[in-house]
Amino acid sequence: MENNKLSETTKEEIKQIDSRATSVNLFGRVMHYAGIYAVALMFLLAGIVLQSLGIINNFLTTQNMVNILDAVSMLGIVAVGMAFVTYSGQFADLSVPTTMALTGIVAVQMLQYGFLPAIIAAVLAGLLIGLINAVAIGKYKANPIIWTLAVNYVTLGVIRLVWVNKQIYPDMIAKTQRASDLFDAIYRLRFFNKIALPLILLIILVVFLNFIMKKTKYGMQLKITGSAQKAAKFTGINTEKIIGITFIICALTATLAGLTITSLSRVGAWYNGTGYDFKAVTAIVIGGMTLAGGRGSIIGVLGGVLIIGLMNNIMTLLGVGTFSQDMIRGFIFILVVGINAKSLRSMGRDDA
Amino acid sequence: MSEKEKMKTTFSVTALEMKSVSKQFVGTLAVDRVDFDVRAGEVHALIGENGAGKSTLMKIIAGSFNDYTGDIHMGSSKVDLHTPAQSKKNGIEMIYQELSLALPLSIAENVLVGRLPKKGMFLDKEEIVTETRRCLGMVGLEHLNPMMQIEDISQHEGQLVEIAKALGNNPGILVMDEPTSALSREEVERLFTIIHNLKKNGLAIVYISHHLPEIFEVADRVTVLRDGKKIGTKDIGGVSSSELVQMMVGKSVTEFYSHTSHTQEKKRLRVEGLSRYGFFHDISFSSFEGEILGICGLSGAGRSELARVLVGLDDKDSGKVYLDEQEITLKNMGQAVANGIVYLTENRKTEGLALRLDIKENILAGLIPELTRKGIYQEGDGIQKVNNLIEELSIYPPDSSRIVGNLSGGNQQKVLLAKWMACEPKVMILDDPTRGVDIGAKMTIHQSIERLAEEGNTVILISSDLPELVSLSSRVLIMRKGRIIKEMPKVDCTEESVLLAANGEGA
Repeated sequence: MENNKLSETTKEEIKQIDSRATSVNLFGRVMHYAGIYAVALMFLLAGIVLQSLGIINNFLTTQNMVNILDAVSMLGIVAVGMAFVTYSGQFADLSVPTTMALTGIVAVQMLQYGFLPAIIAAVLAGLLIGLINAVAIGKYKANPIIWTLAVNYVTLGVIRLVWVNKQIYPDMIAKTQRASDLFDAIYRLRFFNKIALPLILLIILVVFLNFIMKKTKYGMQLKITGSAQKAAKFTGINTEKIIGITFIICALTATLAGLTITSLSRVGAWYNGTGYDFKAVTAIVIGGMTLAGGRGSIIGVLGGVLIIGLMNNIMTLLGVGTFSQDMIRGFIFILVVGINAKSLRSMGRDDA
Repeated sequence: MSEKEKMKTTFSVTALEMKSVSKQFVGTLAVDRVDFDVRAGEVHALIGENGAGKSTLMKIIAGSFNDYTGDIHMGSSKVDLHTPAQSKKNGIEMIYQELSLALPLSIAENVLVGRLPKKGMFLDKEEIVTETRRCLGMVGLEHLNPMMQIEDISQHEGQLVEIAKALGNNPGILVMDEPTSALSREEVERLFTIIHNLKKNGLAIVYISHHLPEIFEVADRVTVLRDGKKIGTKDIGGVSSSELVQMMVGKSVTEFYSHTSHTQEKKRLRVEGLSRYGFFHDISFSSFEGEILGICGLSGAGRSELARVLVGLDDKDSGKVYLDEQEITLKNMGQAVANGIVYLTENRKTEGLALRLDIKENILAGLIPELTRKGIYQEGDGIQKVNNLIEELSIYPPDSSRIVGNLSGGNQQKVLLAKWMACEPKVMILDDPTRGVDIGAKMTIHQSIERLAEEGNTVILISSDLPELVSLSSRVLIMRKGRIIKEMPKVDCTEESVLLAANGEGA
C-alpha cells in the first residue's frame, strides 16, 4: 500500500541507493574474505620478486616459510582471542602483554610441582585477569581501553614485586628433567618434523572460535551486541555477560600465547609479551574487523596475521631495523583505520 | 503615523518567504516543494502529524541543511541558509523542543553565549549582568539572578531563558518548536502573553505544534503539512478545528475511530502498587486478554519509566506484577521476553534497531535462543517468519538482506515492530509505536496492532499521539506526575478530554 504511494522520483532514488548499498556490500564481502588473502598473496609475490631481483635471499625456502608460520602462530593465538573483544565493540584488550608475562612466569614457578600443575596454575592466573576485566567492563561499564591499560600495569607491578624483578628459568626450577622437557616442548614439538604445536593450536582455535562467532547463539547475540549495544540490551540480550565473556576468551588465548613465548625464550620474565597488544590490534584491523564492532570474521583476522607475518619477514630480510618495523606497522594501522572510516562514511554511516 | 497604522504596515511586511523548497533524505522526500511565508508581527503556525515535515522545514530555516532546493527570500533579496551561522546572520533564531542550555553554566553564560561582553581581555561582569537582565526582562524573568546556574531553575524558567537567549540577538524571525510540550497550563498562558507582546513589537514568529487548541489561541495564520507537502494555509479566523484535523490526516476523522471494543474476561497483566521512587508511585491496573490498553501522559509523567520496569530493564522499589495471575519478578529484559512480555522502545535508532545489520538479523534478534538447537543457531528456520512479517507489514524493499540503516523511518519502525511480533508475545508494550513515521506506515502498524489484540494478546499502548491513542485503545489510563490519575473508558475518550485530564484539568 505504501509502495504505491511512493512517487516515481522516490522509487528511482531508492533504486540508486540500493545499487550503491549492494555494490558496497559486495566490495565489503570480497574485502573481508578473499581480499585479505589476496593482499597476503601480494606480499608473498613481492617477496618472490625481491628474491628473483637478488635484493633478498632465502625468502622462498621451506625453512623460511616455516619460520614465518612459527613467528605468526603466537601473534595469531593472541589476535583471534582479542578479535572477540573488538567484535563486541570494546576495541581492544591492552592487558594482553602482562597476561602473557604473568601466565608464563607463574607456569615456570609452578614447574617445581610438575608440568600439569604449572599449566593449570597458568590457566587460573589468566582466567583471573579475564574475570576481573569481564566484571569491570561487562558489568560496571568501565572504559575498556583505560581499564585494560591499568590492569596491564597493575599486573606488571605484581610480577616485578613478587619476583623482585628477577627472571626465572624453567630448567632451574623444574625438579624433574621430564617437566622441564615437556615445558620446552610447548614451542618446540613438531609434527612431521615441520609443523609446530603452536601452529596446530592456532588452526584449532581459528576453526573453533570461527564456529562460536558465526554459528552459535552466543555468536549471534555477540554480533548484535557489537553492532548496537543498546538495541541488544533492549532486545533482552544479556549484553553484560556477552561482553564479559569476550574478555575471558581473550585472557585464555593470551595464556596460551604466554606459555608458548615463555617456552620459546626459556625464561619467565615481565617483558614476555611486550608489543603483542598493538600487533594483535593491527592484525585484527587489517583482517577486516572494524573497531566499531560487529563486523569481520576470525578467518579474516587470520589473514591479517599472515600479512603481518609476511611483512615482518620481508622487512627483516631487507635489513629493516626493529624500530623502523614498529613505525611502519604503526603507519599501516593508521592507514587501514582511516580507509575503513572513510569507506563507512561514504556509505552514509559515520559510526567507525 | 498613528500607532494603529504603524502596526498595520509592519504586519504586511513579509519577513521570510520560501518558494518551492524541497529537502531529500535517503529514500524519502521529507519536504516536497513547499511554499511558506511569515510576516513581521504575526504568528504563523505550522502543523502536521509526526513525520509530516514540520521539523525538516524548520531545520531548513535554521540553516541545518546545505542541500535543500528552492528559493528563500528575506525582504527583497534571495538568501542562502546553508549553515546555522548564515541563518543567525539573517536574524533567524530557533527555540528547540529539547532545551539546548548548558546545565552547569550560569544563566548569563547561557543567554550571552558567543557574545559575552569584554573589558580589555577580561570579561566585563557588570555589563554581563545588565545585558542578561535586559534579555530576561523581555520574557518577564527580571527577578532571576543572572549568576544562578541553569540546573537550579525550573524547566519552565529554562524554556523562558531559552527564549531570552534568542531575543538577545535581536532576531527578525523566531521559530518555536513545540514550546509548550513541557509546560503547565498557567505557564502556557504566561508564554502566550509574552508571544503576544513580541508580536506587537514586529517580530515574525513561526510556531510549530501539533496541539490544535493552542493554535487557535496564539496563531494568526496556520499552514498544514502532510507527507512533506503543503496542504494549505488558512487564516485562523476562517477555519475550524475539525477542518484542520481533516487537512492533517487526509481523511475524515470518523474514519480514524474504527476500533471495535474487546470483551474483557481473562486478566493478563495485573500490576499492584508498583513504584519506582522518583519516577512513578503506587501504580495499579489490570489489562485483559485481547485488549489494547492506552496509557497517556505528558512527557515526564512516568509512562516510559513504568514500561521499563514492567519488562525488567529497571528495578522496581515496591509493588507486585502478575502475569496470568502468577506473580512474576523480572531481573532483566531477557526474562521478560522469555515470559512473553516485550517492549517496543520509543527510541528506534538508539535502543531499537541494530542499524548496521540487515532486516532479517534485526527481526530475529529476539528469537536467537529459540532458533538455537544443539548449540547451533539455525537462521534458516526463521526465514519463513521473517518473510511473512515483511509481507504483513509491507516492509519496503521486501528483501530481508537489506541493511536496516538504509531504510526509511517508517520501514525501520515496521522492522522494529516485526522483531517483537516474531516473538509472539502475550503482552506487547508499545512506546510511541508510530513516532516520526508517515501516514501509510502508521496505518499498517495500526492494523498489525489490532490483529495482535484480536488474536488474544494484550497490547499496552503508550502514545503521545492522541488520535492514535483514542482510536485504538479500549480504555485509556491517564498518568500525571508519576501517578495514574484517571481511567477513561472508550466512550468517554476524545482527544480533548484525554489531553485535559493529562494536564490535570477537566472532569
